[in-house]
Amino acid sequence: MSTRTIEIAVGLFVAAGFAALFMLAMKVSNLANYTGDDGYEISASFDNIGGLKVRSPVAASGVRVGQVTGIEYDSGGYEAWVTMSIDPQYDKFPTDTAASVLTSGLLGEQFIGLQPGAEEEYLIAGSEIELTQSALVLEQIVGQFLYSKAEE
Amino acid sequence: MHKPVQAHTIPAQIIKIISDNQQAPKGPDLSDTLIKIRGMKFSRGERMIIDGIDMDIPRKGITAIMGPSGTGKTTLLKLIGGQLHPDAGSVEVDGQNVHKLKTSQLYALRKRMGMLFQSGALLTDLTVFENVAYPLREHTRLSEGLIRQLVLLKLNAVGLRGAAQLMPSELSGGMARRVAMARAISLDPMMIMYDEPFTGQDPISKGVLVKLIRELNDVLDICSIVVSHDVSDTLSIADYAYVVSDGEVVGHGHPQELIASDSEWIRQFIDGLADGPVPFHYQAAPVLDELISGDNSS
Amino acid sequence: MMMLLDKLQSLGHSSLSSVQRLGRGHVFLLQVLPAMQGMLFRPSLLIRQMYSVGVQTLLIIVVAGLFVGMVIALQAYNALVDFGAEDSVSVMVVLSLLRELGPVVTALLFAGRAGSALTAEIGLMKATEQLSGMEMMAVNPIERVIAPRFLAGFISMPLLAVIFSAVGVMGGYLVAIELLGLDAGAFWSQAVAKVDLYHDLGNGMIKSAVFGFVVVWIAVFEGYDCVPTSEGLGRATTSTVVHSSLAVLGLDFVLTALMFNE
Repeated sequence: MSTRTIEIAVGLFVAAGFAALFMLAMKVSNLANYTGDDGYEISASFDNIGGLKVRSPVAASGVRVGQVTGIEYDSGGYEAWVTMSIDPQYDKFPTDTAASVLTSGLLGEQFIGLQPGAEEEYLIAGSEIELTQSALVLEQIVGQFLYSKAEE
Repeated sequence: MHKPVQAHTIPAQIIKIISDNQQAPKGPDLSDTLIKIRGMKFSRGERMIIDGIDMDIPRKGITAIMGPSGTGKTTLLKLIGGQLHPDAGSVEVDGQNVHKLKTSQLYALRKRMGMLFQSGALLTDLTVFENVAYPLREHTRLSEGLIRQLVLLKLNAVGLRGAAQLMPSELSGGMARRVAMARAISLDPMMIMYDEPFTGQDPISKGVLVKLIRELNDVLDICSIVVSHDVSDTLSIADYAYVVSDGEVVGHGHPQELIASDSEWIRQFIDGLADGPVPFHYQAAPVLDELISGDNSS
Repeated sequence: MMMLLDKLQSLGHSSLSSVQRLGRGHVFLLQVLPAMQGMLFRPSLLIRQMYSVGVQTLLIIVVAGLFVGMVIALQAYNALVDFGAEDSVSVMVVLSLLRELGPVVTALLFAGRAGSALTAEIGLMKATEQLSGMEMMAVNPIERVIAPRFLAGFISMPLLAVIFSAVGVMGGYLVAIELLGLDAGAFWSQAVAKVDLYHDLGNGMIKSAVFGFVVVWIAVFEGYDCVPTSEGLGRATTSTVVHSSLAVLGLDFVLTALMFNE
């Protein structure tokens, strides 16, 4: 094989490799969500986060607006401390917005749903959401149900 | 920096080869040694392959190293070239202790040594031309045109200029060795080592190789070391010879001296006797003992 | 009693020689790594090796990737359709390819095809004294023969793994849409939602880089260290395939445990 043919073949090979990489990155990964790396961070504390994980989505009205960036246990307040990053274009959440841990579908993964309030001031970087609702824990619901049944 | 190939000496050498100038063989100047080997010991595993060898190899002329198979003759060449390290002893080539050199110095020394391996050791993915050009391309910055001329001249010296475009797999054993010779003289070295050049060759190829080794040595005026167990052919061209057996030098001298020698070792080797200091029977218990004990145990 | 002692002795002997071999392999690596700078002056050596190691493995990688992707799609469908979750087929295909099958299967195929070829080539050069000849011509065979092959393998592996995954996803897409009648839009959007660029694609590429390093190291060392006879060569090539495969699978476990720990 002549040197020229070999070099062309190797060039094509490397180009194919990069093309495959781009294709995978573009079409099947959440690259789009990465362009918003410069979101602003807000936080909230929950009694129980259920199955929430880092990088779980944050949604408002079902639309993804950000993701969870950190989960810690606050031993001072005996609560779960969650930090999340909101995409910069969604900067009009009132300060009395409520955050709840919801489940997507019946057995799906858990995410944080934001319900806007009515205040005129908006959440900025470093703000904390006051109104939170914890995840529904199955055992507690069953216990409540049995208790209310027993009362009847 | 590498020494550039001396272009002005080449035309003189070509004239010599082409006009087949027969030079009277010079007796070697034994006082001018190129290679000094002292107290060389080398073992592989538990076997002592070389057990105390001293040698002086003169700067000009053909020196033969002969002996029965497996006595470490090839190992000796590798020790001289610095590919193996001895257990004890030293090798000095042109005043430099080979095994005490740094890698770059060793490589500089190797450029002045040519080596012919038993199988030729040509690079199989290059043509004959490319193989001979390889040392020139690696170590000099000569132009392509000049390299082409040099390569063709070297190939012509060994009679294979017409085979320049063949691949090594298309060559016969003898031709491959000749190409390897052309490659070995690419950089005009000060010495060439031949590892069993005549082994397995038909009479014609052997004759060609014998003639070439002698001619090249005379024309290039260098040191040639021929390791071989082919007594008649080697001694016909050697200026000096060492006989090695069992890891030691058992005799050395001019070919005429060796042929007339009365040492048992040398006699057995030169006359090709089946039994002598190198025994016929491999070491074993006495025959009767083995046969008798065989009867008893069955 | 003697038999037991003999067995123990041979066990000790083979353990010691394995450790010795491992040491030689590391010393060898330490010689190869600095020798790679020689390729800055001779890029043609690297290009030539990338052709024989990378380009010539491309065919088997593409074919294997296609079939693996298609099979995963079929199997995932069978598993998920009972839960009504067949829309997640794409997620299974993409994640299993990017995280595991892409790097691992590529590495195993590479070890079999390119790795054994490297071992055979270098071993043959050793057996025919070409490496020795190069040394005597004052050319460093590690710089000239070994290092280009090493670097070529290390670069080619991640490229091949990513091509494998991409072709696999295509194969999965074909099966899901054409054969199983799933929705094309759902296919891509489900994948986009669940696949993370750094976590899945990035980690997969790190894996394949590590595998590439190890496979090519084993292949090149086995060739360089082989017994220079025809049966020694045969044993070395088998050894390359076996040891590389085991190393890849073992490393895969370690890397997966490190990277994908939720």
